[in-house]
Amino acid sequence: MNATRTHPYVVEAEGLTKRFGHRVAVDRVDLRIPSGAAFGYLGPNGAGKTTLIRMLLGLTTATSGSMRLLGLPMPARRAEALARVGAIVEEPRSHPFLTGRENLEIVAAARERAAHKRIDGALARVGLTERADDRVKTYSLGMRQRLGVARALLGDPELLILDEPMNGLDPGGMEDTRLMIRGLVAEGRTVVLSSHLLDEVEKTCDAIAIVDRGRVVVQGSIEELTGGTETLLVSTGDDLRARALLHGHEVEVVEEGLRVHAIDAAKINRRLVEAGIDVHRLEPERISLERRFLELTTRLEAAA
Amino acid sequence: MTALAAALPNTRLVRAELLKLRKRRGLTLTVLLMTVGATVLTYAILAILHAANPAHHGPAGGVTNLSHVLWLLSALGAGAAVLAGSTAGAGDLSAGVFRELAVTGRSRTSLYLARIPGGLAFLLSGVAAAYALAAIASVAFADDGAAPSTGSLAAGGAWILLSTTTYFLLALGLSSLAGSRTVPLVILLAWRLALMPILISLTFLGAARDALPDTGIQELAPHAFASNLQIATLSVPTAVSVGVILLWVGAMLAVGAWRTATRDA
Repeated sequence: MNATRTHPYVVEAEGLTKRFGHRVAVDRVDLRIPSGAAFGYLGPNGAGKTTLIRMLLGLTTATSGSMRLLGLPMPARRAEALARVGAIVEEPRSHPFLTGRENLEIVAAARERAAHKRIDGALARVGLTERADDRVKTYSLGMRQRLGVARALLGDPELLILDEPMNGLDPGGMEDTRLMIRGLVAEGRTVVLSSHLLDEVEKTCDAIAIVDRGRVVVQGSIEELTGGTETLLVSTGDDLRARALLHGHEVEVVEEGLRVHAIDAAKINRRLVEAGIDVHRLEPERISLERRFLELTTRLEAAA
Repeated sequence: MTALAAALPNTRLVRAELLKLRKRRGLTLTVLLMTVGATVLTYAILAILHAANPAHHGPAGGVTNLSHVLWLLSALGAGAAVLAGSTAGAGDLSAGVFRELAVTGRSRTSLYLARIPGGLAFLLSGVAAAYALAAIASVAFADDGAAPSTGSLAAGGAWILLSTTTYFLLALGLSSLAGSRTVPLVILLAWRLALMPILISLTFLGAARDALPDTGIQELAPHAFASNLQIATLSVPTAVSVGVILLWVGAMLAVGAWRTATRDA
Protein backbone atom coordinates (compact mmCIF):
# COMPACT_ATOMS: atom_id res chain seq x y z
CA MET A 1 0.00 0.00 0.00
CA ASN A 2 1.37 3.40 -0.95
CA ALA A 3 -0.70 5.50 1.39
CA THR A 4 0.63 6.20 4.86
CA ARG A 5 -1.64 6.56 7.82
CA THR A 6 -1.63 10.02 9.27
CA HIS A 7 -4.80 10.03 11.34
CA PRO A 8 -5.95 7.80 14.18
CA TYR A 9 -9.51 7.49 12.90
CA VAL A 10 -10.51 6.67 9.33
CA VAL A 11 -14.13 7.56 9.97
CA GLU A 12 -15.44 10.16 12.39
CA ALA A 13 -19.14 10.88 12.48
CA GLU A 14 -20.96 13.21 14.82
CA GLY A 15 -24.72 13.39 15.13
CA LEU A 16 -25.10 11.91 11.68
CA THR A 17 -28.77 11.67 10.77
CA LYS A 18 -30.66 10.63 7.67
CA ARG A 19 -34.41 10.93 7.34
CA PHE A 20 -36.61 9.69 4.55
CA GLY A 21 -39.76 11.71 5.13
CA HIS A 22 -40.86 10.88 8.68
CA ARG A 23 -38.76 7.72 8.85
CA VAL A 24 -35.38 8.09 10.53
CA ALA A 25 -32.94 5.65 8.92
CA VAL A 26 -29.82 6.87 10.74
CA ASP A 27 -30.35 8.58 14.06
CA ARG A 28 -27.68 10.90 15.49
CA VAL A 29 -24.85 8.46 15.01
CA ASP A 30 -21.54 9.21 16.70
CA LEU A 31 -18.90 6.88 15.40
CA ARG A 32 -15.12 6.66 15.42
CA ILE A 33 -13.46 3.91 13.48
CA PRO A 34 -9.78 3.39 14.35
CA SER A 35 -7.30 3.01 11.52
CA GLY A 36 -5.40 -0.21 10.81
CA ALA A 37 -8.11 -2.59 12.01
CA ALA A 38 -11.01 -4.64 10.74
CA PHE A 39 -14.11 -2.88 12.04
CA GLY A 40 -17.54 -4.48 11.99
CA TYR A 41 -20.68 -2.39 11.71
CA LEU A 42 -23.16 -4.85 12.98
CA GLY A 43 -26.91 -4.73 13.02
CA PRO A 44 -30.08 -6.46 11.93
CA ASN A 45 -31.49 -5.93 8.46
CA GLY A 46 -33.02 -2.47 8.16
CA ALA A 47 -30.94 -1.04 11.01
CA GLY A 48 -29.49 1.69 8.77
CA LYS A 49 -26.08 0.17 8.03
CA THR A 50 -26.15 0.72 4.28
CA THR A 51 -27.60 4.21 4.62
CA LEU A 52 -24.71 5.20 6.87
CA ILE A 53 -22.21 3.80 4.38
CA ARG A 54 -23.93 5.61 1.51
CA MET A 55 -23.65 8.89 3.42
CA LEU A 56 -19.98 8.31 4.20
CA LEU A 57 -19.29 7.69 0.52
CA GLY A 58 -21.23 10.73 -0.67
CA LEU A 59 -23.82 8.60 -2.45
CA THR A 60 -26.61 10.28 -0.54
CA THR A 61 -26.68 13.44 1.52
CA ALA A 62 -26.99 13.52 5.30
CA THR A 63 -29.98 15.29 6.78
CA SER A 64 -27.80 16.61 9.59
CA GLY A 65 -24.54 15.96 11.38
CA SER A 66 -20.94 15.97 10.26
CA MET A 67 -18.47 13.36 9.10
CA ARG A 68 -14.82 13.01 8.21
CA LEU A 69 -13.29 10.32 6.06
CA LEU A 70 -9.54 9.74 6.43
CA GLY A 71 -9.43 13.02 8.31
CA LEU A 72 -11.07 14.95 5.47
CA PRO A 73 -14.47 16.62 5.87
CA MET A 74 -17.23 15.07 3.77
CA PRO A 75 -18.71 15.96 1.40
CA ALA A 76 -16.54 19.10 1.09
CA ARG A 77 -13.38 17.12 0.19
CA ARG A 78 -15.13 14.12 -1.26
CA ALA A 79 -12.88 13.64 -4.29
CA GLU A 80 -9.66 13.64 -2.25
CA ALA A 81 -11.03 11.32 0.41
CA LEU A 82 -12.66 8.82 -1.96
CA ALA A 83 -9.51 8.57 -4.08
CA ARG A 84 -8.04 6.65 -1.10
CA VAL A 85 -11.14 4.56 -0.41
CA GLY A 86 -12.37 1.36 -2.02
CA ALA A 87 -15.96 0.35 -1.44
CA ILE A 88 -18.63 -2.19 -2.18
CA VAL A 89 -22.11 -0.91 -1.42
CA GLU A 90 -24.86 -3.52 -1.33
CA GLU A 91 -24.12 -6.11 -4.00
CA PRO A 92 -21.32 -5.22 -6.41
CA ARG A 93 -22.71 -4.44 -9.86
CA SER A 94 -21.02 -4.79 -13.23
CA HIS A 95 -21.91 -4.55 -16.88
CA PRO A 96 -22.83 -8.15 -17.72
CA PHE A 97 -21.90 -7.83 -21.40
CA LEU A 98 -18.32 -6.80 -20.57
CA THR A 99 -15.58 -9.09 -19.33
CA GLY A 100 -14.30 -8.88 -15.79
CA ARG A 101 -11.17 -7.12 -17.00
CA GLU A 102 -13.16 -4.59 -19.07
CA ASN A 103 -15.35 -3.81 -16.06
CA LEU A 104 -12.21 -3.05 -14.08
CA GLU A 105 -10.84 -0.92 -16.93
CA ILE A 106 -13.98 1.22 -16.78
CA VAL A 107 -13.56 1.93 -13.08
CA ALA A 108 -9.79 2.35 -13.44
CA ALA A 109 -10.50 5.10 -16.00
CA ALA A 110 -12.35 7.00 -13.28
CA ARG A 111 -9.41 6.68 -10.89
CA GLU A 112 -5.84 7.92 -11.16
CA ARG A 113 -3.70 6.71 -14.08
CA ALA A 114 -1.83 4.15 -11.92
CA ALA A 115 -5.10 2.29 -11.28
CA HIS A 116 -4.92 0.73 -14.73
CA LYS A 117 -1.63 -0.96 -13.85
CA ARG A 118 -3.22 -2.55 -10.78
CA ILE A 119 -5.84 -4.47 -12.74
CA ASP A 120 -3.83 -7.66 -13.18
CA GLY A 121 -2.73 -7.64 -9.54
CA ALA A 122 -6.27 -7.09 -8.30
CA LEU A 123 -7.61 -9.91 -10.48
CA ALA A 124 -4.87 -12.24 -9.22
CA ARG A 125 -5.54 -11.29 -5.63
CA VAL A 126 -9.19 -12.33 -5.83
CA GLY A 127 -8.43 -15.43 -7.92
CA LEU A 128 -10.09 -14.27 -11.13
CA THR A 129 -7.11 -14.20 -13.49
CA GLU A 130 -8.25 -17.24 -15.43
CA ARG A 131 -11.79 -15.91 -15.92
CA ALA A 132 -10.79 -12.27 -16.40
CA ASP A 133 -11.59 -12.29 -20.12
CA ASP A 134 -14.97 -14.00 -19.79
CA ARG A 135 -18.14 -11.95 -19.79
CA VAL A 136 -19.45 -11.16 -16.32
CA LYS A 137 -22.86 -12.61 -17.18
CA THR A 138 -21.20 -16.05 -17.02
CA TYR A 139 -19.86 -15.43 -13.48
CA SER A 140 -21.30 -16.98 -10.33
CA LEU A 141 -22.44 -14.77 -7.45
CA GLY A 142 -19.21 -15.47 -5.59
CA MET A 143 -17.14 -14.47 -8.61
CA ARG A 144 -19.10 -11.25 -8.96
CA GLN A 145 -18.43 -10.50 -5.30
CA ARG A 146 -14.73 -11.11 -5.88
CA LEU A 147 -14.77 -8.87 -8.94
CA GLY A 148 -16.30 -6.18 -6.72
CA VAL A 149 -13.43 -6.58 -4.26
CA ALA A 150 -10.90 -6.38 -7.12
CA ARG A 151 -12.58 -3.16 -8.23
CA ALA A 152 -12.38 -1.76 -4.71
CA LEU A 153 -8.63 -2.49 -4.65
CA LEU A 154 -7.86 -0.58 -7.86
CA GLY A 155 -7.24 2.66 -6.00
CA ASP A 156 -4.71 1.03 -3.61
CA PRO A 157 -7.07 2.11 -0.84
CA GLU A 158 -6.14 3.06 2.67
CA LEU A 159 -9.71 2.29 3.70
CA LEU A 160 -12.01 -0.42 2.35
CA ILE A 161 -15.72 -0.28 3.07
CA LEU A 162 -17.46 -3.56 2.38
CA ASP A 163 -21.22 -3.70 2.76
CA GLU A 164 -22.39 -7.24 3.57
CA PRO A 165 -19.46 -8.88 1.73
CA MET A 166 -20.43 -12.38 2.90
CA ASN A 167 -23.95 -12.23 1.48
CA GLY A 168 -24.73 -15.17 -0.73
CA LEU A 169 -21.33 -16.82 -0.24
CA ASP A 170 -20.92 -20.50 0.60
CA PRO A 171 -18.81 -21.43 3.65
CA GLY A 172 -15.68 -21.70 1.50
CA GLY A 173 -16.31 -18.27 0.01
CA MET A 174 -16.84 -16.81 3.49
CA GLU A 175 -13.57 -18.30 4.69
CA ASP A 176 -11.76 -16.86 1.65
CA THR A 177 -13.29 -13.44 2.27
CA ARG A 178 -12.33 -13.57 5.94
CA LEU A 179 -8.73 -14.44 5.08
CA MET A 180 -8.61 -11.73 2.45
CA ILE A 181 -9.87 -9.12 4.92
CA ARG A 182 -7.29 -10.15 7.49
CA GLY A 183 -4.65 -9.99 4.77
CA LEU A 184 -5.69 -6.46 3.86
CA VAL A 185 -5.52 -5.40 7.50
CA ALA A 186 -2.08 -7.00 7.80
CA GLU A 187 -0.96 -4.70 4.98
CA GLY A 188 -1.91 -1.70 7.09
CA ARG A 189 -5.28 -0.98 5.51
CA THR A 190 -8.47 -0.45 7.46
CA VAL A 191 -11.46 -2.56 6.53
CA VAL A 192 -14.94 -1.53 7.58
CA LEU A 193 -17.36 -4.35 7.22
CA SER A 194 -21.10 -4.06 7.62
CA SER A 195 -22.93 -7.26 8.32
CA HIS A 196 -25.77 -8.95 10.11
CA LEU A 197 -23.73 -12.18 10.36
CA LEU A 198 -22.59 -12.07 13.97
CA ASP A 199 -20.37 -15.10 13.83
CA GLU A 200 -18.48 -13.88 10.78
CA VAL A 201 -17.96 -10.43 12.29
CA GLU A 202 -16.69 -11.95 15.52
CA LYS A 203 -14.22 -14.10 13.60
CA THR A 204 -13.07 -11.33 11.27
CA CYS A 205 -13.11 -8.03 13.12
CA ASP A 206 -11.01 -6.39 15.83
CA ALA A 207 -13.63 -3.87 16.86
CA ILE A 208 -17.31 -3.36 16.23
CA ALA A 209 -20.23 -1.03 16.59
CA ILE A 210 -23.67 -2.50 17.12
CA VAL A 211 -26.43 -0.54 15.47
CA ASP A 212 -30.14 -0.91 15.95
CA ARG A 213 -32.96 1.18 14.52
CA GLY A 214 -30.53 3.70 13.13
CA ARG A 215 -28.62 4.25 16.38
CA VAL A 216 -25.23 2.99 17.49
CA VAL A 217 -25.98 1.24 20.77
CA VAL A 218 -22.45 0.20 21.67
CA GLN A 219 -18.98 0.26 20.16
CA GLY A 220 -15.65 -1.09 21.23
CA SER A 221 -13.16 -3.88 20.67
CA ILE A 222 -14.44 -7.45 20.36
CA GLU A 223 -12.44 -8.15 23.51
CA GLU A 224 -14.28 -5.47 25.46
CA LEU A 225 -17.69 -6.43 24.19
CA THR A 226 -17.41 -10.16 24.60
CA GLY A 227 -15.47 -10.02 27.87
CA GLY A 228 -16.28 -7.85 30.80
CA THR A 229 -18.53 -10.30 32.65
CA GLU A 230 -18.14 -10.68 36.39
CA THR A 231 -18.26 -14.44 36.36
CA LEU A 232 -15.69 -17.22 36.25
CA LEU A 233 -16.09 -20.66 34.75
CA VAL A 234 -14.55 -23.24 37.05
CA SER A 235 -14.08 -26.95 36.53
CA THR A 236 -12.54 -29.02 39.33
CA GLY A 237 -11.91 -32.60 40.39
CA ASP A 238 -14.78 -32.27 42.89
CA ASP A 239 -17.36 -29.67 41.88
CA LEU A 240 -19.64 -30.58 44.78
CA ARG A 241 -16.98 -29.72 47.39
CA ALA A 242 -15.86 -26.71 45.42
CA ARG A 243 -19.42 -25.37 45.38
CA ALA A 244 -19.67 -25.80 49.14
CA LEU A 245 -16.31 -24.15 49.66
CA LEU A 246 -17.28 -21.13 47.59
CA HIS A 247 -20.56 -20.62 49.45
CA GLY A 248 -19.79 -16.93 49.96
CA HIS A 249 -20.17 -16.38 46.22
CA GLU A 250 -23.13 -16.92 43.99
CA VAL A 251 -22.41 -20.28 42.32
CA GLU A 252 -24.41 -22.02 39.59
CA VAL A 253 -23.94 -25.49 38.17
CA VAL A 254 -23.52 -25.27 34.41
CA GLU A 255 -22.51 -27.70 31.68
CA GLU A 256 -18.85 -26.67 31.88
CA GLY A 257 -18.74 -27.07 35.72
CA LEU A 258 -19.48 -24.10 37.95
CA ARG A 259 -20.24 -20.50 37.16
CA VAL A 260 -18.92 -18.40 40.03
CA HIS A 261 -19.87 -14.75 40.37
CA ALA A 262 -16.47 -13.33 41.23
CA ILE A 263 -13.75 -11.29 39.54
CA ASP A 264 -10.61 -12.36 41.41
CA ALA A 265 -9.67 -15.63 39.74
CA ALA A 266 -6.37 -15.95 41.64
CA LYS A 267 -8.14 -15.79 44.99
CA ILE A 268 -10.68 -18.43 43.98
CA ASN A 269 -7.91 -20.65 42.66
CA ARG A 270 -5.90 -20.36 45.87
CA ARG A 271 -8.90 -21.29 48.03
CA LEU A 272 -9.64 -24.37 45.95
CA VAL A 273 -6.01 -25.54 45.79
CA GLU A 274 -5.46 -24.95 49.51
CA ALA A 275 -8.54 -27.10 50.15
CA GLY A 276 -6.94 -29.89 48.11
CA ILE A 277 -9.32 -29.59 45.16
CA ASP A 278 -7.76 -30.07 41.73
CA VAL A 279 -8.56 -27.15 39.41
CA HIS A 280 -8.86 -28.24 35.78
CA ARG A 281 -10.19 -25.01 34.40
CA LEU A 282 -10.61 -21.49 35.69
CA GLU A 283 -11.26 -18.61 33.33
CA PRO A 284 -13.30 -15.45 33.09
CA GLU A 285 -16.51 -16.25 31.32
CA ARG A 286 -16.74 -14.72 27.85
CA ILE A 287 -20.04 -13.68 26.43
CA SER A 288 -20.60 -14.50 22.77
CA LEU A 289 -21.15 -11.61 20.44
CA GLU A 290 -24.50 -13.11 19.58
CA ARG A 291 -25.59 -13.05 23.23
CA ARG A 292 -24.28 -9.51 23.64
CA PHE A 293 -26.06 -8.42 20.48
CA LEU A 294 -29.34 -10.00 21.51
CA GLU A 295 -29.06 -8.52 25.01
CA LEU A 296 -28.61 -5.04 23.59
CA THR A 297 -31.22 -5.21 20.88
CA THR A 298 -33.76 -6.95 23.15
CA ARG A 299 -33.23 -4.30 25.81
CA LEU A 300 -33.91 -1.62 23.24
CA GLU A 301 -36.98 -3.43 22.00
CA ALA A 302 -38.33 -3.64 25.55
CA ALA A 303 -37.62 0.05 26.12
CA ALA A 304 -39.37 1.07 22.90
CA MET B 1 -7.42 21.53 -9.32
CA THR B 2 -10.14 23.99 -10.27
CA ALA B 3 -13.78 22.91 -10.31
CA LEU B 4 -13.83 23.30 -14.09
CA ALA B 5 -10.77 21.09 -14.58
CA ALA B 6 -12.27 18.45 -12.28
CA ALA B 7 -15.48 18.46 -14.30
CA LEU B 8 -13.77 17.85 -17.63
CA PRO B 9 -13.49 14.20 -18.64
CA ASN B 10 -10.10 12.74 -19.52
CA THR B 11 -9.46 10.58 -22.58
CA ARG B 12 -9.48 7.39 -20.49
CA LEU B 13 -13.06 8.12 -19.39
CA VAL B 14 -14.10 8.85 -22.96
CA ARG B 15 -12.54 5.58 -24.18
CA ALA B 16 -14.36 3.74 -21.38
CA GLU B 17 -17.68 5.20 -22.56
CA LEU B 18 -16.94 4.12 -26.12
CA LEU B 19 -16.04 0.62 -24.89
CA LYS B 20 -19.35 0.32 -23.00
CA LEU B 21 -21.33 1.18 -26.12
CA ARG B 22 -19.46 -0.78 -28.75
CA LYS B 23 -19.41 -3.93 -26.61
CA ARG B 24 -23.20 -4.01 -26.61
CA ARG B 25 -23.59 -6.28 -29.59
CA GLY B 26 -27.29 -5.67 -30.07
CA LEU B 27 -26.86 -1.90 -30.02
CA THR B 28 -23.86 -1.94 -32.35
CA LEU B 29 -25.63 -4.20 -34.81
CA THR B 30 -28.82 -2.12 -34.75
CA VAL B 31 -26.95 1.16 -35.27
CA LEU B 32 -24.98 -0.34 -38.17
CA LEU B 33 -28.13 -1.74 -39.76
CA MET B 34 -29.96 1.59 -39.41
CA THR B 35 -27.10 3.52 -41.00
CA VAL B 36 -24.68 1.49 -43.14
CA GLY B 37 -27.12 -1.37 -43.74
CA ALA B 38 -29.95 0.92 -44.85
CA THR B 39 -27.65 2.85 -47.22
CA VAL B 40 -26.17 -0.28 -48.80
CA LEU B 41 -29.61 -1.82 -49.18
CA THR B 42 -31.08 1.31 -50.77
CA TYR B 43 -28.30 1.67 -53.34
CA ALA B 44 -28.32 -2.06 -54.04
CA ILE B 45 -32.04 -1.90 -54.84
CA LEU B 46 -31.59 1.23 -56.96
CA ALA B 47 -28.70 -0.35 -58.87
CA ILE B 48 -30.60 -3.61 -59.45
CA LEU B 49 -33.71 -1.74 -60.65
CA HIS B 50 -31.62 0.34 -63.04
CA ALA B 51 -29.79 -2.72 -64.34
CA ALA B 52 -33.08 -4.60 -64.84
CA ASN B 53 -34.95 -1.80 -66.60
CA PRO B 54 -32.77 1.22 -67.49
CA ALA B 55 -35.58 2.81 -69.50
CA HIS B 56 -37.94 2.94 -66.53
CA HIS B 57 -35.43 3.36 -63.64
CA GLY B 58 -32.70 5.95 -63.89
CA PRO B 59 -29.14 5.49 -62.62
CA ALA B 60 -28.73 4.73 -58.90
CA GLY B 61 -26.39 7.72 -58.43
CA GLY B 62 -26.99 11.43 -58.76
CA VAL B 63 -28.40 14.20 -56.62
CA THR B 64 -32.01 13.04 -56.49
CA ASN B 65 -31.27 9.56 -55.16
CA LEU B 66 -28.71 10.97 -52.72
CA SER B 67 -31.45 13.30 -51.45
CA HIS B 68 -33.72 10.32 -50.85
CA VAL B 69 -30.95 8.46 -49.03
CA LEU B 70 -30.27 11.58 -46.95
CA TRP B 71 -33.94 11.69 -45.99
CA LEU B 72 -33.80 8.01 -45.05
CA LEU B 73 -30.57 8.50 -43.10
CA SER B 74 -31.97 11.50 -41.26
CA ALA B 75 -34.93 9.42 -40.06
CA LEU B 76 -33.10 6.16 -39.33
CA GLY B 77 -30.02 8.03 -38.08
CA ALA B 78 -32.21 9.90 -35.60
CA GLY B 79 -33.57 6.54 -34.43
CA ALA B 80 -30.03 5.18 -34.04
CA ALA B 81 -29.02 8.39 -32.25
CA VAL B 82 -31.90 8.09 -29.79
CA LEU B 83 -30.99 4.46 -29.15
CA ALA B 84 -27.30 5.27 -28.59
CA GLY B 85 -28.03 8.42 -26.59
CA SER B 86 -30.47 6.80 -24.20
CA THR B 87 -28.07 3.88 -23.69
CA ALA B 88 -25.15 6.21 -23.03
CA GLY B 89 -27.28 8.29 -20.65
CA ALA B 90 -28.81 5.53 -18.56
CA GLY B 91 -26.64 2.45 -19.21
CA ASP B 92 -24.54 2.81 -16.04
CA LEU B 93 -27.57 3.61 -13.91
CA SER B 94 -29.67 0.70 -15.11
CA ALA B 95 -26.77 -1.72 -14.61
CA GLY B 96 -26.07 -0.30 -11.12
CA VAL B 97 -22.54 0.65 -12.21
CA PHE B 98 -23.03 4.38 -11.73
CA ARG B 99 -22.65 3.86 -7.98
CA GLU B 100 -19.39 1.99 -8.53
CA LEU B 101 -18.11 4.96 -10.53
CA ALA B 102 -19.40 7.57 -8.09
CA VAL B 103 -17.53 6.00 -5.14
CA THR B 104 -14.23 6.57 -6.91
CA GLY B 105 -14.60 10.25 -6.03
CA ARG B 106 -14.48 11.26 -9.70
CA SER B 107 -16.66 14.31 -10.38
CA ARG B 108 -20.11 13.21 -11.50
CA THR B 109 -20.14 16.01 -14.05
CA SER B 110 -16.97 14.57 -15.51
CA LEU B 111 -18.56 11.10 -15.68
CA TYR B 112 -21.55 12.66 -17.42
CA LEU B 113 -19.61 14.78 -19.89
CA ALA B 114 -17.48 11.78 -20.93
CA ARG B 115 -20.64 10.23 -22.37
CA ILE B 116 -20.85 12.95 -25.03
CA PRO B 117 -17.60 12.37 -26.96
CA GLY B 118 -17.69 8.63 -26.18
CA GLY B 119 -21.23 8.25 -27.50
CA LEU B 120 -20.69 10.48 -30.50
CA ALA B 121 -17.55 8.54 -31.47
CA PHE B 122 -19.66 5.39 -31.43
CA LEU B 123 -22.66 6.80 -33.30
CA LEU B 124 -21.04 9.10 -35.80
CA SER B 125 -18.60 6.46 -37.03
CA GLY B 126 -21.63 4.50 -38.29
CA VAL B 127 -23.41 7.56 -39.66
CA ALA B 128 -20.25 8.88 -41.33
CA ALA B 129 -19.51 5.49 -42.89
CA ALA B 130 -23.07 5.28 -44.20
CA TYR B 131 -22.93 8.77 -45.68
CA ALA B 132 -19.49 8.12 -47.19
CA LEU B 133 -20.90 5.04 -48.92
CA ALA B 134 -23.89 7.07 -50.12
CA ALA B 135 -21.64 9.85 -51.42
CA ILE B 136 -19.41 7.37 -53.28
CA ALA B 137 -22.43 5.59 -54.75
CA SER B 138 -24.06 8.89 -55.78
CA VAL B 139 -20.96 9.74 -57.80
CA ALA B 140 -20.05 6.26 -59.03
CA PHE B 141 -23.55 5.38 -60.25
CA ALA B 142 -24.41 8.84 -61.70
CA ASP B 143 -24.80 9.71 -65.35
CA ASP B 144 -22.28 12.12 -66.79
CA GLY B 145 -22.84 15.57 -65.29
CA ALA B 146 -25.52 14.41 -62.81
CA ALA B 147 -23.15 13.66 -59.89
CA PRO B 148 -23.44 15.94 -56.88
CA SER B 149 -20.72 18.56 -56.46
CA THR B 150 -18.06 18.24 -53.77
CA GLY B 151 -19.57 21.22 -51.98
CA SER B 152 -23.05 19.74 -51.86
CA LEU B 153 -21.64 16.38 -50.73
CA ALA B 154 -19.81 18.10 -47.87
CA ALA B 155 -22.94 20.08 -46.95
CA GLY B 156 -25.04 16.92 -46.99
CA GLY B 157 -22.54 15.16 -44.73
CA ALA B 158 -22.42 18.04 -42.28
CA TRP B 159 -26.22 18.18 -42.17
CA ILE B 160 -26.67 14.48 -41.46
CA LEU B 161 -24.05 14.67 -38.70
CA LEU B 162 -25.85 17.69 -37.22
CA SER B 163 -29.19 15.92 -37.34
CA THR B 164 -27.97 12.72 -35.64
CA THR B 165 -25.81 14.60 -33.12
CA THR B 166 -28.80 16.71 -32.09
CA TYR B 167 -30.94 13.64 -31.44
CA PHE B 168 -28.11 11.87 -29.64
CA LEU B 169 -27.65 14.81 -27.27
CA LEU B 170 -31.39 15.18 -26.66
CA ALA B 171 -31.62 11.48 -25.81
CA LEU B 172 -28.53 11.60 -23.60
CA GLY B 173 -29.87 14.49 -21.55
CA LEU B 174 -33.37 13.08 -21.27
CA SER B 175 -32.25 9.57 -20.28
CA SER B 176 -29.81 10.98 -17.70
CA LEU B 177 -32.69 13.00 -16.29
CA ALA B 178 -35.13 10.09 -16.27
CA GLY B 179 -32.57 7.48 -15.19
CA SER B 180 -34.11 5.14 -17.72
CA ARG B 181 -33.45 4.01 -21.29
CA THR B 182 -36.95 3.04 -22.28
CA VAL B 183 -38.95 6.16 -21.48
CA PRO B 184 -36.74 8.62 -23.44
CA LEU B 185 -36.49 6.08 -26.25
CA VAL B 186 -40.25 5.89 -26.65
CA ILE B 187 -40.78 9.64 -26.20
CA LEU B 188 -38.11 10.71 -28.68
CA LEU B 189 -38.91 8.12 -31.32
CA ALA B 190 -42.59 9.03 -31.13
CA TRP B 191 -41.60 12.69 -31.31
CA ARG B 192 -39.28 12.30 -34.29
CA LEU B 193 -41.28 9.83 -36.32
CA ALA B 194 -44.88 10.78 -35.57
CA LEU B 195 -45.47 13.96 -33.61
CA MET B 196 -42.91 16.27 -35.22
CA PRO B 197 -44.12 15.88 -38.84
CA ILE B 198 -47.69 16.49 -37.66
CA LEU B 199 -46.78 19.59 -35.63
CA ILE B 200 -44.74 21.11 -38.44
CA SER B 201 -47.58 20.60 -40.89
CA LEU B 202 -50.17 22.30 -38.64
CA THR B 203 -50.20 25.75 -40.21
CA PHE B 204 -52.43 27.28 -37.52
CA LEU B 205 -49.51 26.90 -35.08
CA GLY B 206 -47.76 29.64 -37.07
CA ALA B 207 -44.42 30.89 -35.74
CA ALA B 208 -44.67 28.61 -32.70
CA ARG B 209 -43.37 25.86 -34.97
CA ASP B 210 -40.07 27.74 -35.25
CA ALA B 211 -39.34 26.73 -31.66
CA LEU B 212 -39.29 23.02 -32.54
CA PRO B 213 -35.80 21.51 -32.82
CA ASP B 214 -36.76 19.71 -36.02
CA THR B 215 -37.75 22.96 -37.66
CA GLY B 216 -34.20 24.15 -37.10
CA ILE B 217 -32.70 20.92 -38.42
CA GLN B 218 -34.87 20.99 -41.54
CA GLU B 219 -34.21 24.64 -42.23
CA LEU B 220 -30.48 23.92 -42.20
CA ALA B 221 -30.77 21.17 -44.86
CA PRO B 222 -28.45 21.89 -47.80
CA HIS B 223 -30.17 23.67 -50.69
CA ALA B 224 -28.93 21.11 -53.21
CA PHE B 225 -31.05 18.44 -51.52
CA ALA B 226 -33.81 20.39 -49.77
CA SER B 227 -36.33 20.17 -52.63
CA ASN B 228 -36.07 16.36 -52.63
CA LEU B 229 -35.94 15.84 -48.87
CA GLN B 230 -39.72 15.48 -48.45
CA ILE B 231 -39.73 17.96 -45.60
CA ALA B 232 -41.78 21.06 -44.98
CA THR B 233 -39.70 24.24 -44.77
CA LEU B 234 -40.86 27.30 -42.85
CA SER B 235 -38.29 29.85 -44.06
CA VAL B 236 -36.77 30.45 -40.64
CA PRO B 237 -33.54 32.51 -40.58
CA THR B 238 -30.40 30.38 -40.17
CA ALA B 239 -29.40 32.12 -36.93
CA VAL B 240 -32.80 31.35 -35.42
CA SER B 241 -32.55 27.69 -36.53
CA VAL B 242 -29.10 27.35 -34.97
CA GLY B 243 -30.27 29.13 -31.83
CA VAL B 244 -33.31 26.86 -31.44
CA ILE B 245 -31.19 23.70 -31.79
CA LEU B 246 -28.60 24.98 -29.32
CA LEU B 247 -31.30 25.96 -26.85
CA TRP B 248 -32.97 22.54 -26.94
CA VAL B 249 -29.71 20.62 -26.74
CA GLY B 250 -28.26 22.93 -24.09
CA ALA B 251 -31.36 22.72 -21.91
CA MET B 252 -31.60 18.94 -22.17
CA LEU B 253 -27.89 18.44 -21.43
CA ALA B 254 -28.10 20.83 -18.49
CA VAL B 255 -31.00 19.01 -16.81
CA GLY B 256 -29.24 15.68 -17.44
CA ALA B 257 -26.04 17.00 -15.83
CA TRP B 258 -27.95 18.43 -12.88
CA ARG B 259 -29.75 15.13 -12.24
CA THR B 260 -26.55 13.13 -12.57
CA ALA B 261 -24.81 15.36 -10.05
CA THR B 262 -27.64 15.33 -7.53
CA ARG B 263 -29.22 11.89 -7.72
CA ASP B 264 -28.76 9.33 -4.95
CA ALA B 265 -26.45 6.68 -6.34
